[in-house]
Amino acid sequence: MKNSKYGGAYVPEMLWETLKELTAAFESAKNDPAFQKEFQDLLKNYSGRPTTLIFAERATADLGGAKIYLKNEGANLSGAHKITHCLGQGLLAKRLGKKMLIAETGAGQHGVATATVAARLGLECIVFMGTEDIRRQRPNVFLMERLGAKVVPVEYGSKTLKDAVNEALKFWMEHLAEAHYCIGSVLGPSPYPEMNRYFQSVIGREIRAQLQEREGKLPSAVLACVGGGSNAMGSFDDFIGEKSVRLIGVEAGGIGKNVGEHASRKIAGVPGIFQGYKSLFLQTDEGQIAPTHSISAGLDYPGIGPELAELYESGRVELTYATDAEAVDAADFFAKHEGVISALESAHALAEVRKMAPKMGRDEIIVATLSGRGDKDLFNFARAFKDESFKQFLKDEYERK
Amino acid sequence: MSENNALEILLKSGKRPLFMAHMIAGYPSTAESEKVAAALVQGGADIIELQIPFSDPMADGPTIAVASEDALKAGATVADSLEILKKVVGLGKPVAVMSYTNPVFRFGIAKFVEAIKAAGATAIIVPDCPFDTEEGKALLAAGKENDICIIPVVSPGVPEERLQELAKDACGFVYCTSRQGITGATSKFSNDLADFASTAKRIFNLPLAVGFGVKSKADVQSLSKIADIIIAGSVFVNAIKRGENVEQLARDLTS
Repeated sequence: MKNSKYGGAYVPEMLWETLKELTAAFESAKNDPAFQKEFQDLLKNYSGRPTTLIFAERATADLGGAKIYLKNEGANLSGAHKITHCLGQGLLAKRLGKKMLIAETGAGQHGVATATVAARLGLECIVFMGTEDIRRQRPNVFLMERLGAKVVPVEYGSKTLKDAVNEALKFWMEHLAEAHYCIGSVLGPSPYPEMNRYFQSVIGREIRAQLQEREGKLPSAVLACVGGGSNAMGSFDDFIGEKSVRLIGVEAGGIGKNVGEHASRKIAGVPGIFQGYKSLFLQTDEGQIAPTHSISAGLDYPGIGPELAELYESGRVELTYATDAEAVDAADFFAKHEGVISALESAHALAEVRKMAPKMGRDEIIVATLSGRGDKDLFNFARAFKDESFKQFLKDEYERK
Repeated sequence: MSENNALEILLKSGKRPLFMAHMIAGYPSTAESEKVAAALVQGGADIIELQIPFSDPMADGPTIAVASEDALKAGATVADSLEILKKVVGLGKPVAVMSYTNPVFRFGIAKFVEAIKAAGATAIIVPDCPFDTEEGKALLAAGKENDICIIPVVSPGVPEERLQELAKDACGFVYCTSRQGITGATSKFSNDLADFASTAKRIFNLPLAVGFGVKSKADVQSLSKIADIIIAGSVFVNAIKRGENVEQLARDLTS
């Protein structure tokens, strides 16, 4: 996709050469059969692709409208779609002779995926994570450390995803020779938005093929949650030319529409230049980046991938949002109806499915991407459902010798 | 740059090395910013680099990042910074404004350059705005229009082909970081830096300023062999934070 209005590479000159080398490596890898063979082999025999496309039969019957399918990216080895772009970038890092992968993480899913790939490819790994996110997603910190990664807490700013990106960028500028920065979404300076979309676009291609086999037609709508937009761009990319397919991104509506209560660019995003790219950002009138809120750490970020922002402004992609409470309810609904425990991020897309499906015809098909499974949100769900016995379990576990 | 530009006059004066002292507008407070500038000038600064705080300063280490955050928390606005700029200019030294792309972009690039010109600045440094972006081009055009130099920031490792491209539009001086990385951390000032500095001077044919990690008189002495202008920033911010005498510190570095 030609991207003109947003994107770019707004970075200090010291990154110029590194980004140029990465772009060249990416371009040559795309046309290199050996790279493609290794990448496809890892996706299939390591991460476990293709992921399943689940027909949500009971949810469909209950909601009484469109047929609902769930693209189960949570079935990936590391529990979310993030491993796909990490495998791609990890292979590029090796081609570039780098010894180390560094990454930012919000929910911890991209951090776990990077740590997984680093372990598999024999690279060192450092993951930057805000202390607020460490508090919310402590299980993933444990997993990253078990995978051999070093997790560096980021204690300034809002102590969330955007600050982790800042810190990773700074560390990278000090370690350009040995480190590859494995950016975890379709954002950052060029070539990252295009590169991560390229790797993730396998999601949409699989949806198309699986649905063709099962239903013999295209979906009426494809939905995905949007933080930076990696699972959304991955799900949408193959359908952009199919005008009959609505593409809907679901952002974090949080707890309200005031500054600091949500992370929705639909509500308040305006053009800006931040963390190396031009796009829509939540910010003050003076261009200071605004605080954000979401129950899901992975959506708690002020910016949106530049290609996605452009597709939104052109009208090809619609954006909407789900609140914290709607996301928790939707996760519960699909757990009870389908036996699928979704990550809180992905549950935002499920919340929109519940709103949309009943208004659609029974001959229509709606596909929602489950970007990740919900194991990591055990503690958040337990709190949201005020589960006293879980609290007692934690207390007992703490006191156990 | 016009011949009666204050920065041009200073650079042509032949005084070497020149000392550029960095400060943050609104830190430790809007009211005290002028005093900080006065202390730096009294202590021997030849040029003041005035940073307009941004919430997420990509090229800055924890010292300047946290101080910027403090200034913003205390309510510092771009309008406040422009008022501070006027007062700092009033101290009689050339002032280079430093900020990041987003606040300048939101203000309006041409409008921003006009505003700092009206307040008396002579140059602007925006480290995350490459000259070949749409905004970089707008910045260069507004700079030409208003006799404001857009200062390129380069680092060891930037290849010659890129330096040559940047040199086409450079004016005033070249800001060279002493290493790859961010402000504040200790620097070793390696041979790589000396080699890069001579390459940059040859290609840009402008005075060379070196900053990042300048903390002591020894650092200044070591850099004076390769730099026309020596820049110190985090060391002053730390001194302000600790309540130390900024004027004395500047004098220790420049004497």
